[in-house]
Amino acid sequence: MLQMDLDIGDFCSNWAHCDLFSAYLARMVSHNRLDSLLFSNLYSSALNELLETVFRVHGNSGKLECSVRRQGGLDRIELVFPADEDTFAVYREAIDKLSGKDAEKLYLEALFTEDEPDASLGLLELGVDYGARLAIDRAGDGRMCLVAELTLEDENE
Amino acid sequence: MIAENSTQSFQWTYNENDQEFALHGSLRPQKAEELSKCISALDQSVSNVSGKFYVNVRRLVRMNNVAFHAIAGKILDLVRGRSDLDVHVTTSSVVGWATRKFAVLETMSEKITVSEYDSEFYPGQSFVEDSEFIHVLRTQTKLTWKHEKDLLREHGLKPGMQVADICCGIGDFAVLLQKEFSPDRLVALDHSKSSLDYARQVAADFGIKGIDYVFGDAADMLLEDDQFDFVTCRHSLQVFDRPELILKELFRICKPGGRIYVTNEKNSHCLGEPRGESIQWTYNEVAKLWHHFDMDIEIGPKSRRLLLEGGFEDVTIGSFMVTSTDGDPQGFADIIASWKNLFAGKMASERGDDAAFVERFAKGFDDHIFAALHPKGYAGWPIWVASGRKPL
Ligand SMILES: C[S@@+](CC[C@H](N)C(=O)[O-])C[C@H]1O[C@@H](n2cnc3c(N)ncnc32)[C@H](O)[C@@H]1O
Repeated sequence: MLQMDLDIGDFCSNWAHCDLFSAYLARMVSHNRLDSLLFSNLYSSALNELLETVFRVHGNSGKLECSVRRQGGLDRIELVFPADEDTFAVYREAIDKLSGKDAEKLYLEALFTEDEPDASLGLLELGVDYGARLAIDRAGDGRMCLVAELTLEDENE
Repeated sequence: MIAENSTQSFQWTYNENDQEFALHGSLRPQKAEELSKCISALDQSVSNVSGKFYVNVRRLVRMNNVAFHAIAGKILDLVRGRSDLDVHVTTSSVVGWATRKFAVLETMSEKITVSEYDSEFYPGQSFVEDSEFIHVLRTQTKLTWKHEKDLLREHGLKPGMQVADICCGIGDFAVLLQKEFSPDRLVALDHSKSSLDYARQVAADFGIKGIDYVFGDAADMLLEDDQFDFVTCRHSLQVFDRPELILKELFRICKPGGRIYVTNEKNSHCLGEPRGESIQWTYNEVAKLWHHFDMDIEIGPKSRRLLLEGGFEDVTIGSFMVTSTDGDPQGFADIIASWKNLFAGKMASERGDDAAFVERFAKGFDDHIFAALHPKGYAGWPIWVASGRKPL
């Protein structure tokens, strides 16, 4: 397991943090995979979308914790970050969309909307395109927890 | 054209002859406006095009949804706004997310097609990935290793180093490296999935751990800069149509002060006696045949120049000859037999050679085999080894 903690304000002081952290963590977790480079590129893409979502949608102040672990073929990413009710609702809504029958249609709509893409597009992508299992919960201290479980390598390969 | 900020850099190029707009690098902007220059370049490129417009994202390594939304939206606008225009998007299998992500464009318009660029990756790929050829690589490595084991030391390889073998083929060289030099890290990269499958299977069967076999394009690797003490690339600059691109990448992933090590052939210098003349004629023709397919099987002695022009210092070059008297004449003969199969078979027929030519061409290989197995004969296959240091 690997964990990173930092103040949400520090994290959000620079957009490039999303890219840097996802690249760094991807490198750390990509050892002993079928193909470390393919894996790390996919992992970084998925984690980057999660971090970009948190960058855009989060509560006022507090800590951001990111922990990642591997359980066999499954990779689990857990993000805990400040979230008021409105913030939580954004994530709730995305997860509701994903649990419905027309998740794929909603994802494509979000992807090709004429307007600015919605902040939850990344979550929809993870659910539909990456087949990730997403879950959320309140963390008690004014924060929320977002968990993504990913299977990035095809065992049959 | 390069747009750069602290972490991401991407470029675009437009090739008018091919009506192809290519994106390259890492694309994770915060706002779509950051792409405005790129989008207007795309607009401008397409303005003179009718028929099929190609968008090439093969070398686009990272892309977030902001960028996808902007670029995919632009492509949709184009095909919807212009009845005379179709768009084809080319992705790469090296970048895991790309094909899946771009494929959704096909569902949005019939005028958009998406395909993964994998075969015809370079001109000689179908020959090099031939299963027959995979087989010959094994015997080749077995015979070259006798010489290279010591040469590698002379060129600076030591135990415990961070090592990469680029264009590793079926990975047998990496296995030998692992056993002989116990590197601290060993990455072996190739662009042939079948070769890598084979390599992983061999490593598993022999209980060899610690070799990281990865799929990739040697001319544009996902490996990071300045990682390796020693980077090898054997018999491969000669099968790729633009060896300088691979060299640039070998340079990039090598640590400052580290070395790269390349081996290459000059096939026209293969020799044998008896029947020397026929042998020589055939191997001169081999060089022309490879040239026809845009590969330079004569690179060997040019390696020094390639390394010097690639920015390496302390360049050393030498050569060795695998011969029928090294202790395994049959192995030598087997190699020549599979060359004959490939060169006088698939390659010659694809070039359209006539029967008379093929007969004479094949005869030189038979004569080479004859020389190798002849009790008083001698047959040789020369190989050039060059290495250079990346400046500190
Ligand atoms: C002649 S084989 C040599 C393989 C191995 N080094 C050996 O000596 O046995 C050339 C290898 O280069 C690989 N190759 C050629 N171009 C490549 C590229 N751009 N990226 C990765 N691999 C490439 C081919 O797939 C093939 O396995």
